Amino acid sequence: MDDKVRVAEQQDLDTLESLREADADLRLPAVVEPVAYPLETLTPVARQQTPAVGQRAPRPDGRLHGLGQTKYIDDMTFPDMIHAKVLRAGIASARIISIDVSEAEAMPGVLATLVGKEIPVNSYGPSIQDQPLLADEFVRHAGDGVAAVAAVSEQIAKDALAKIKVEYEPIEPVFDPLEAIKEDSIKVHPTASNIYASKIVKKGDVEKAFAESAHIFEDQYRTQMVEHVPMEPHASIAMWDANERVSLWSSLGRITLGRADMARVLNMPVNRVRMIATIVGGNFGGKNELTTEPVLALLSKKTGRPVKGVYSREDEFISSTTRHPFIMDYKTGVSAEGKILARKVRLILDGGAYCSWSETTLGKACILSPGPYNIPNVHIEAYVTYTNKTMTGAMRGFGAPQVCFAYESQMDDIARKLGIDPLEIRMMNAFEEFADSPTGQVLESVVVKDSLKIAADRFGWKENG
Amino acid sequence: MIRKGRGIGCMWYPIGFTVMANPSAATVKVNEDGTATLLTGTVETGQGSLTVLGQIAAEELGIATDDVHVVSADTDTTPMDTGAIASRTTYVTGNAIQLAAEKAKNILFETAAPMLGVKPSQLEARDRKIQIKNFPQKSVSIGEVANRALSVTGEPPIGSASYNPPTVAMDPETGQGKPFSTYVYATQIAEVEVDDETGEVVVLRIAAAHDCGTAINPMLVEGQVQGGISMGIGFALQEEMLFNDQGQQINPNLTNYIMPTSLDMPEIDVDIVENYDPTGPFGAKGVGEPTSVPTAAAIMNAIYDAVGVRIHSLPATAEKVLMAIRENQANGQKQIEGGPAQLPAE
Repeated sequence: MDDKVRVAEQQDLDTLESLREADADLRLPAVVEPVAYPLETLTPVARQQTPAVGQRAPRPDGRLHGLGQTKYIDDMTFPDMIHAKVLRAGIASARIISIDVSEAEAMPGVLATLVGKEIPVNSYGPSIQDQPLLADEFVRHAGDGVAAVAAVSEQIAKDALAKIKVEYEPIEPVFDPLEAIKEDSIKVHPTASNIYASKIVKKGDVEKAFAESAHIFEDQYRTQMVEHVPMEPHASIAMWDANERVSLWSSLGRITLGRADMARVLNMPVNRVRMIATIVGGNFGGKNELTTEPVLALLSKKTGRPVKGVYSREDEFISSTTRHPFIMDYKTGVSAEGKILARKVRLILDGGAYCSWSETTLGKACILSPGPYNIPNVHIEAYVTYTNKTMTGAMRGFGAPQVCFAYESQMDDIARKLGIDPLEIRMMNAFEEFADSPTGQVLESVVVKDSLKIAADRFGWKENG
Repeated sequence: MIRKGRGIGCMWYPIGFTVMANPSAATVKVNEDGTATLLTGTVETGQGSLTVLGQIAAEELGIATDDVHVVSADTDTTPMDTGAIASRTTYVTGNAIQLAAEKAKNILFETAAPMLGVKPSQLEARDRKIQIKNFPQKSVSIGEVANRALSVTGEPPIGSASYNPPTVAMDPETGQGKPFSTYVYATQIAEVEVDDETGEVVVLRIAAAHDCGTAINPMLVEGQVQGGISMGIGFALQEEMLFNDQGQQINPNLTNYIMPTSLDMPEIDVDIVENYDPTGPFGAKGVGEPTSVPTAAAIMNAIYDAVGVRIHSLPATAEKVLMAIRENQANGQKQIEGGPAQLPAE
């Protein structure tokens, strides 16, 4: 009996051991083995053919990715390079009474700290400059950075954050966008209203068209806040040199404007800033503006060393931009045959603590919200409001996935109510060449119906009906 | 019980910024051997844009993709670019590159014309040669022409140009205007399985037909569509940043913030809708963002088709779908009880 138990245990151990081995086999080595290059590198035929347009040409960076040789920021190192970390507020709304970095600075291995007050122009943003690089007076969401530390290792920098003492006077926060848009709501910024941008698109007479409609559909749709989750988090290295020139290796997707923003917040000539973007491990809209680049630059200035800053996954979630949650009210008037006669839309966007790319998101969502359909009467109103949450900004589609979810959901409800096939009702209403868009633009190269037909044929819509 | 359903998501999406100027500039230099170097200020963020931009330069110069080396993303050396945003790179930066390459090519034509005994306007660049239009027997290699331009005539074949999409400001009262130069269109159709006892949704397949004008590189277009769909599935079914009543995110990690993995990916059939936009480089528009726009809509309509519940708020987690199914059943039950005498289904 004992033997049997022992045998069973032994088997278990074996299994565990073999699992561990298999796991180790599957793991990629931490350091990629060097590759000896063949004398002749094979060039894919599609890259050598003319004409070049239309070729399925492989990417030259694909080879580097495949060999594990692509140098992302975190793979780069410079002599004497040090590491920076940012302390996050953790409180959603507060006035900062004091920040004491003395204990952190006294830690062995810590070379410098930085607070918002040391930044020459401590505000930025692509349309409204309402965001501090490090919060100095007010904290407006829990992910706001309040101080930064540069140390000889990432771990020491992280440990030093715990030694920074910040005294807060809490302010009552507002999280619900519908609460935030009320006149008497708590204000996130010192503005008369939390609504910081709005847009209207109107054409025809919706009320008259509703009165003439055979059916009216009214629905509310909501979407959630999501993150871009790029595989490579935000990362940069800053190097300040003796000529008062700063070089930045950054994961930013827009270096020309990034350089201008850097020069603005550091209050220095544009030609003293150099921005180099490496191959970026995913952007999706999340890497379209500065994050900690100026903070790293100033830490480099203070220490005379290159400074690297890489976001943790948590930093990425709580302090980088996210997708706007939408509250969408759709009212649609339809004829007895299924023609859309009028559509009234109200969009409320949760803009989070700072503007970021909200104006662009608002504008695109507003224009696109009726869908790719001929609707003679439209009335769209869109508002974006501050709340004490992670800021929302650019994300793949700029509000389009949100409104598409709404207008296409309602389209199917209309089809079902009227007993029309979902494909047919779309074909009946879709734009054609030279269609009149909701903003009165004459549209060209329009292929909505082709895309419907091709997708339906590929799917087997008619056969599988 | 597992129930199948299908749903359509159809969309339109603009290329470039809303009215606001969003220019790109580019420089194309032809080397002594007929290869070329392209300077662009845009950034490769994983989508393959540098390959597409190289193909555009190559096409205008009549050379192959591999003949063009792309230098990008250094503000000390590369020209101004609004960047990798708003699905604008192929269209806006691509147009700037085509114009820059055309300028370099015109220098090559000036150089080649006396070599071939014709006017520059009679020439075309094709298959790494400068040849006479409609008389391709008479030609000279681009390398020979470029070398001559650099070392004999002393006019290096270099071109720089910029492009900004034409728009018309929107009226502040009515929003009427031309906010974008062009738009793309697409349809995705999803097939899903819904377990009506657990609410779990599995996306089985998606047929995606996307317009991007001319597909400069069909393989990279397909890649964008596949990636966009994965993002769309996360938005539809799984991803959500959750906050406590203090405004702190409670799932700032990939253990509790659920997003699709390869195991969640359906079968995807990509079709590129044939189209040509005369305002784009070689007829191209763009494809980056729109690929993730209609996915959630198609999946929600497929869920409705499968189990008859309309999801009004994303994401359609299993809990939410199950609750909606239960509610539907309860309502159905009530109607049966209140209605004319008939046997319940179960």
